[in-house]
Amino acid sequence: MLKIDNINVSYGHAKVLHDVSLEIRHGEMGFIIGRNGAGKTTLLKSIIGLLTPWSGSILFQGQAVVGLSPERLSLAGIRYVGQEKKVFASLTVRENLEIAAYACQEPVEKAIDRITGFYPKMKKFLDTKAGLLSGGQRQILLVGRALVGTPKLLLIDEPTQGLAAIVIEDINDIMSDLKQQVSALIVEQNLAMVNRLADRVFVLKEGKIVSEIDDKSMMSDTRKLEEYV
Amino acid sequence: MNSILADGSPGKRSSDGERYPALSDRHGWVSYVFIAAGFLALVPILSTHRVTDFMIFCIFALSFDVLYGFMGRLSFGHILYLGTGAYAAGLFIRYVDKNPVAAVLLGVAAAVATGMIIGPIVVRTTGACFALINLAFNQIGFFLVLSPLREFTNGEDGLGVHAAQIGFFNTSSPSVMFWFVFACLLAVFYLLRQLTRSPYGLMVRCINENESRVRFLGYNTFFYKWVTFVIASGVAGLAGTLTTLNYKYVNPNVMDVHSNVGVIFACLIGGAGNLYGALLGGVIYMIISNTLPRYIQSWEMFLGISLLLIVFKFRQGVWGYLGDLWSYYQRKREQGKS
Amino acid sequence: MIYTIMYGFTIGAILYFISIGLSLTFGTMRVINFAHTLIYTLGVYFLVTFMAALNGHIVLSGVLAVLCVIPVSYLIERFVIRKLYGQSVDYTFIATFAISLIGVDLIKRIWGVNPYPLSDPIGTYLTFFDFTFPVYRVLIIGIAIVLFFALEWFFRRSIIGKIVAASLDDEDGVRCLGVNVKRYFSIVFVLGSVLAALGGVLYAPISSIQPYMGHSILLLAFAVVIVGGMGNLRGTFVAAFALGMVMSVTARYWSQGAEVMVFIVMGVVLIFKPLDL
Repeated sequence: MLKIDNINVSYGHAKVLHDVSLEIRHGEMGFIIGRNGAGKTTLLKSIIGLLTPWSGSILFQGQAVVGLSPERLSLAGIRYVGQEKKVFASLTVRENLEIAAYACQEPVEKAIDRITGFYPKMKKFLDTKAGLLSGGQRQILLVGRALVGTPKLLLIDEPTQGLAAIVIEDINDIMSDLKQQVSALIVEQNLAMVNRLADRVFVLKEGKIVSEIDDKSMMSDTRKLEEYV
Repeated sequence: MNSILADGSPGKRSSDGERYPALSDRHGWVSYVFIAAGFLALVPILSTHRVTDFMIFCIFALSFDVLYGFMGRLSFGHILYLGTGAYAAGLFIRYVDKNPVAAVLLGVAAAVATGMIIGPIVVRTTGACFALINLAFNQIGFFLVLSPLREFTNGEDGLGVHAAQIGFFNTSSPSVMFWFVFACLLAVFYLLRQLTRSPYGLMVRCINENESRVRFLGYNTFFYKWVTFVIASGVAGLAGTLTTLNYKYVNPNVMDVHSNVGVIFACLIGGAGNLYGALLGGVIYMIISNTLPRYIQSWEMFLGISLLLIVFKFRQGVWGYLGDLWSYYQRKREQGKS
Repeated sequence: MIYTIMYGFTIGAILYFISIGLSLTFGTMRVINFAHTLIYTLGVYFLVTFMAALNGHIVLSGVLAVLCVIPVSYLIERFVIRKLYGQSVDYTFIATFAISLIGVDLIKRIWGVNPYPLSDPIGTYLTFFDFTFPVYRVLIIGIAIVLFFALEWFFRRSIIGKIVAASLDDEDGVRCLGVNVKRYFSIVFVLGSVLAALGGVLYAPISSIQPYMGHSILLLAFAVVIVGGMGNLRGTFVAAFALGMVMSVTARYWSQGAEVMVFIVMGVVLIFKPLDL
C-alpha cells in the first residue's frame, strides 16, 4: 500500500528526517512512536505532500507520489488528519462534511450517515458551528471528514492528544471499527492504544527509524515499548 | 542568544536570500577606504554636485536598509522622515537662525521625534500593512506641508533657504558640501555597522527571523522595533537636512510618496540586509534615474519591469550576487587544494 | 446637511465596491494587491473607449468594460500573485506595485494624460420631502446594498463561498480534503477585481478620470479594510460607509482635509485596535 524508501526531509536548513524507510501493507494499521521532536509529524506531512523530501521515494499503491500536491493525493485516497485538531470553525459540522463530500463527489448524506454511524451523538451537533465543539468531538469530526469518499490510507497525527480518558475510549472504539476498512499510519504517544490496535510499530528517534516491531508479543508488552520512547 | 539563530555563522543565507555580511569581520577599515575611493572616483566623471547628491541618497538608502534589510519591514512611506528633516532644517534657517549645523541637528531631531511618535502605531504591524500604513502617514505629511502649513512652507512653490557660513563651512561651495556629506556618509556607515554588529543588532536580526520566539524568551520586541524605527527615521532625517542645504531649497516633492520606489529599488538591486548593498544600490539607482530619463520617455515602466525582474530572478541583488560568486570561488579553491 | 449624508453614502458605496476585493484577497492570500486599483482605473478607461465606440451607450459600455478586466486580472493572479504569495508578502507587494507602475504608464500611452470628462448619465432627480437627489447616486447606493446581500448569500450558501470561508480557517485542511484552493482563490481574486472595476465604472461619471486615479483610492480602500477587518465582509461594508461619511462631513467644513481625515481615523483605530497579520 505505502512504501517509503530512504527519504530525507528538511525544514529550511534543519534536517529532520534521515534516510527514513517504512512499509505499510494493505489493511495494516501501523503506528509511529517516539519522543517529541523526533520528526513524526514531519514524516506524515511528507507523505501527504505538505512537505517535500529532497531525496528518496514514496510509493503509494505502486505509484511514485513525491512532489504531488496534497489535493491530488487526497483524491487518490490518502487522507491526513493533523495534530492541531483544526476544523473549519466558522462552518457547521454539516458544512465541514459538505466540503469533503464536494471534493470527492459523494452525497453529503452518506458522509453524515457514516459519522453518525460510529458516533451517534454527532446528530445533535450537525448544525452547530464546528468551532464550538469540544476537543474530542472535533477529532471525531476530523476522522469523519477524512473518511468521506472511502479513502485507502489514513494518516493521523496524535488522535488522542489532549483528550479526556472517556473520549479516548470512544476514539479507540472508532479506530477498532476502522481497522478492517482502511490502512492507516498513526502517530501516537498513547501506548495502550498502540498495544491494542497495531499491526506494526515504527520507532522514530531523532529523525531515524531505529526499530520496527511486528511481533505481536512485543507490542503487547507496554513496558518494552516504553523503552523505546 | 546564540541558540536563537539557527545559523549564526557569518555569510549564511536566510530563506529569503538575504545575506548577512560575510566580509565584515575580515575587512574592517579596508571597506571605508574602498567606499571613499569609490565616491572620490566618481567625482571627475560626474560633477562634485552630482556626487554629493548620490551620497545623500545613499544615506537615505542606508536608513531604509536598516528598516527593510535588518528589521525586515518594508515601508512605503519612509521618505516622510527625509522630508521632515528637510523641512525642519529649512524652516529653521529661514525663520530662526541661519546656522547650518544647528539646522542639521534640528532636522535630525525633528525626524527622530516624528519617528518616536509614529513608531508605536506602526511597528505593531508587519508585511503589507506596515508598508501601507507608512504610506498613509507619508501622505498625511505631504498634505500638511502642501496645505495647512502653507503660510510657513510656501506650499507648492517651496522655500528658498540660504544658510550662513560658519567658519570654513560654507554651504554655497560645492566642494565644502561634498566633504561635509562625505563625512556624514562615512560616519553614518560606521555607526550603523557598529550597531548592526552589536548585541542590539543581533537582537533585531533575531526578531526579524522569528519574533515570537524572541518574545517567549522574555525580550520586549516592541521596544527593539521601535528603537530601530527611530534610528531609521533619524538617519533619513539627516539625509533630508543635507538635501535642503545642498539645494538651498525645499518643497513638498521632497516628501513625495512616489519617490519611495527609488529607495526600495536601490535596496533591492543592491542587496538588502548588509549596508554595502544599500550603498551600491543607491549609486546604481542614482545613475539610472539621472541618465535614463534622457533616453527613455516612460522610464516609470522601465522601473516597473526591472522591479519585476528583480523580484522574480534576482532577489539577492548585486551585492548578494557578488557574495555568491565569492563563495563559489572559495569553494573551488578549497576543492583544488584537497 | 442631507446632501452631505447622501454624498457620504455615495462615496461609501464606491469604497465598498473597491474594498471587497482587497479585503478578500487579503483574507485568503494575505497579500495586498497594489495592482487592484489599477484594475479599477483600467475599468474606467475601458468604459471611456467603449462609450466612444458604441456612441455613448453607457450601460452596455459599462458591462463590457467590467467584463474586459477579467482577463487582465486573471493574468496578474496567475503569473504574479500565485507565484509569490506563498513566499513573501513583501515581494508580492513590490511586484504588484511594479505592475501598477507599468499599467499606469501604459494607460498614459494609450489614452493620454488628460482627464476625460463624463457626465451623469441619468441626469434626473428624485424629489423626496423637499429635497432633490440625483437618481444616479441613489442608484449607486442601491447597487451597493444589493451587492452586500448577494455576497452574504454567496458566502453563506454557495459551495464556493463555503470553501473560501473554510480556507480562511484552515487552508491546509481544505487542501487535504482534495480541494484545489488555488483555483478558488483565483475566482475570489477575479471577483474582487470585477467589483473594483464596477466601482470605477459607476463612479466615473461623477469623478475625474485621469491615469493616477487609482492611487488615492487605494489608500482609502486600504483604510476601509483596516477599519473593517481583513477578510470580514460585513465589517468592510460598515467601514466603507462610515469612512465615506467621514470624508463627506470633513469636506463640508474643511474641503482639502477629507482624505487626510480618513487616515487619521485609521491611525486612531490602529492605536486602539492593534492589528495582527
